[in-house]
Amino acid sequence: VKLFLLWAAVHASQYVLFLYFLAINSVYTALILLALRDIVRHAYLTTSRVARRQLASEFYFKPVSVIVPAHNEAAVIIQSVQALLNLHYPEFEVIVVNDGSTDDTLERLRREFGLLPSVKPVRLQVPHEAIRGVYRSEAYRHLIVVDKVNGGKADAINAGVNVSSYPLFCSIDADSLLEPDALLKSSKLFLEDDELIATGGIIRILNGCKVQDGAVTEIGLPRGFLEAMQVLEYTRAFLSGRTGWNALKSLLIISGAFGVFRKDMVVAVNGYRKTVGEDMDLVMRLHRHCRDRAIPYKILFVPDPVCWTQAPFKLGMLLKQRNRWHRGMIDALLTNRAMILNRKYGATSLIGVSYFVFVELLGPLIELLGYLSVPVLYFTGLLSGRFFVMLLLLAVFWGISINIGAVFLDIYNFRRYKKTSDILRLCVLSAAEFFGYRQLMLLERLRATVTFRKKDWGIQDRQILEDKGTAT
Amino acid sequence: LLDIFTQSPHFYDYVTAAVLLLGVFNVAEVLFLLWNKARVESSELKRQGLKRLASTALITATDPAALLPRPAKEEEFAAYSEAIASVLDSFEGEIAVKAAQLISDLGIDDHYRRLARHRVWYKRGNAIDILSSFKLKSNREFFLAVFRSETSLDVRYRIIYGLSRLAREHADIRALARMLSGLPYLTAKYTEDIFYNIITALKATGSEAEFGIFMREIMNDKTVLNLVKRDCITACYAAACEKGRGLLKEYYAAFPDEPEILIAAVKALARMGDFSVTPAAIRHPDWRVRLAALKYAHLCCMDMLPEIRALLRDPSYHVRLNAALALAKGGEKGLAALRQEAAGPDAFAASTAAYALSQEAA
Repeated sequence: VKLFLLWAAVHASQYVLFLYFLAINSVYTALILLALRDIVRHAYLTTSRVARRQLASEFYFKPVSVIVPAHNEAAVIIQSVQALLNLHYPEFEVIVVNDGSTDDTLERLRREFGLLPSVKPVRLQVPHEAIRGVYRSEAYRHLIVVDKVNGGKADAINAGVNVSSYPLFCSIDADSLLEPDALLKSSKLFLEDDELIATGGIIRILNGCKVQDGAVTEIGLPRGFLEAMQVLEYTRAFLSGRTGWNALKSLLIISGAFGVFRKDMVVAVNGYRKTVGEDMDLVMRLHRHCRDRAIPYKILFVPDPVCWTQAPFKLGMLLKQRNRWHRGMIDALLTNRAMILNRKYGATSLIGVSYFVFVELLGPLIELLGYLSVPVLYFTGLLSGRFFVMLLLLAVFWGISINIGAVFLDIYNFRRYKKTSDILRLCVLSAAEFFGYRQLMLLERLRATVTFRKKDWGIQDRQILEDKGTAT
Repeated sequence: LLDIFTQSPHFYDYVTAAVLLLGVFNVAEVLFLLWNKARVESSELKRQGLKRLASTALITATDPAALLPRPAKEEEFAAYSEAIASVLDSFEGEIAVKAAQLISDLGIDDHYRRLARHRVWYKRGNAIDILSSFKLKSNREFFLAVFRSETSLDVRYRIIYGLSRLAREHADIRALARMLSGLPYLTAKYTEDIFYNIITALKATGSEAEFGIFMREIMNDKTVLNLVKRDCITACYAAACEKGRGLLKEYYAAFPDEPEILIAAVKALARMGDFSVTPAAIRHPDWRVRLAALKYAHLCCMDMLPEIRALLRDPSYHVRLNAALALAKGGEKGLAALRQEAAGPDAFAASTAAYALSQEAA
């Protein structure tokens, strides 16, 4: 009986692995094709003169509050705020929330921008830890700094939401730089579409780029392998992944590094929830809120507003970040488990949530099973060497074509990386990912799956923004 | 199925073919990327050059069509249309006439008219956008014909946008309103844009009054959505439609239970320096109307000081805050009232008063 069960298990696992392999690669290929259609269409419709004229119009806009949660960000906060104050937008305020920093983040802000105490009453609409003080810059009247007891990123954004004055808010990481027209491009969508409740732009890697006066002046692929690999990953995740999910009306993540939201809707779902994956959790709750109440709504990703962010340049930092992302995703899926395979939530549940459960959540376990079963099957004579080599080649070549497809989407439409050497390096990295890097990330995601109840964020090292190069 | 597939005598042939195909595809993708990069860079250079050439020829030459090479490729049409639209936006008189003439001399309008019937909707939409940017009267009939046969809503909205830039008389506005009401309401921004274009086009021909007649016609027309009426008012606001002042007051009086219309009317009138409806708006039961009016209270209504002061205890946070700010900006009497409130027993009123005082001091 035991032998029979073992035989049955081995056979079943073969089918599971093979079908998983086919399914996951087909999904990625389909996403690339959908994204290609969407991006070409978007490029056509946004580059016309009429569209650009409307973008530049100062008659029509909704004022926006830019919320920057900052915890121990002394190294980068001044440059970030300066960049934000230079945004091209008719009416906006920048709200930096000092989330109980133990370094001199607040002091630096106070010195640089001449902060004065503000006694503006704060309307408590969403929960957060106590605010110790609100300050307004003497020189820049649209800069507000909130000093509060540490409560995490979600808590800090909630405080920013309460202090904010405008109907739209944009949350952005303190180590990120928005392109000057990014806010204009993303908030314009709220004017064009009354059903839009949230939108996010593309996040690109700042490492390797030249920054001057808080603006990216020269774009280049970082020299370090890890950072360059993240460029490839981000390109794939945003341009093929999120654009594809857009087309399927199943977008579940708007990156915490750059997203624009309708404040009334975020207040209606009681703001951000304290978790390590607060961005995905919020978007899922917005979907639920609107679907439960039959509110017509849209949540969209747009590929042209750009936010530049610093990527981890050390392996330890990168693994920590990926661990946190994976834990965040598991937590968001558990909290919103009512959306799993629930027809009430339409395509969002049946396509979007199903993808996250079966590919992102269970994927690492199945992939591990694949890696472990190969030697077992080989030594038990159930796997021929020739078949193994062919399957491996098929998997790697298919994966490479998906990666190059994502690079293609970027270079074909946006042409951010202009050097031929950068493009060729991205193509080489498309292949290199499968030999070590992918397996490392897999192990970290498995670790995160086991320890998903942990709530810590960890500490990330920051580089000074006015610096070209990689891991300095 | 998997068994049949794996046990087929040709199984390895299939897999080998798939591997080879993917390998070749990958190499082709990389080569295409590099080729496309070189192609785009050279076409961009050519496009910029042509744009510069066309702009210079339009401004300096008497017959620019004789100087410029006839466009043949898409990028050449794009370069010329960019340059011409830019010239049309910036110049009037002789240069604008030359630019409009160049469009037909080089066959640019014919090209985009052909594209406006392309089978792919976004290409049609893009062609309509480009034709709109030319603001050619001769496109009016073409737009109307395309609108009748067009199936894509996205393109139909664009055609209406194009037509809105060509409005000249009352019949045009009515036709546009009919076309708009035949489609689902898109967004406030879109409708406002349409009416803004109409007002601007009418102003340019000195027939701004036509828009007033149109607004009066739709005021009591139940078939026109109140949202559209509101968007007409906000378009008046954006386009600074000075002659519509009386009409806006009529709108304010005619829709006492429509806060969206009231807010639009209060703002539009205030922009024209007319605060006659502001006192009534400050007393309105809807907090949004009170809020809109309070933004201008310091300019007109400081004789209502006790009433504004009472709004420091309004149930709405925004009304309380703006009442305090209005008092702070309203001179010494307002400041004195705020100082009293800041020291008073009502915590809500005291905190808002303190904030307004600090703002005023800053």
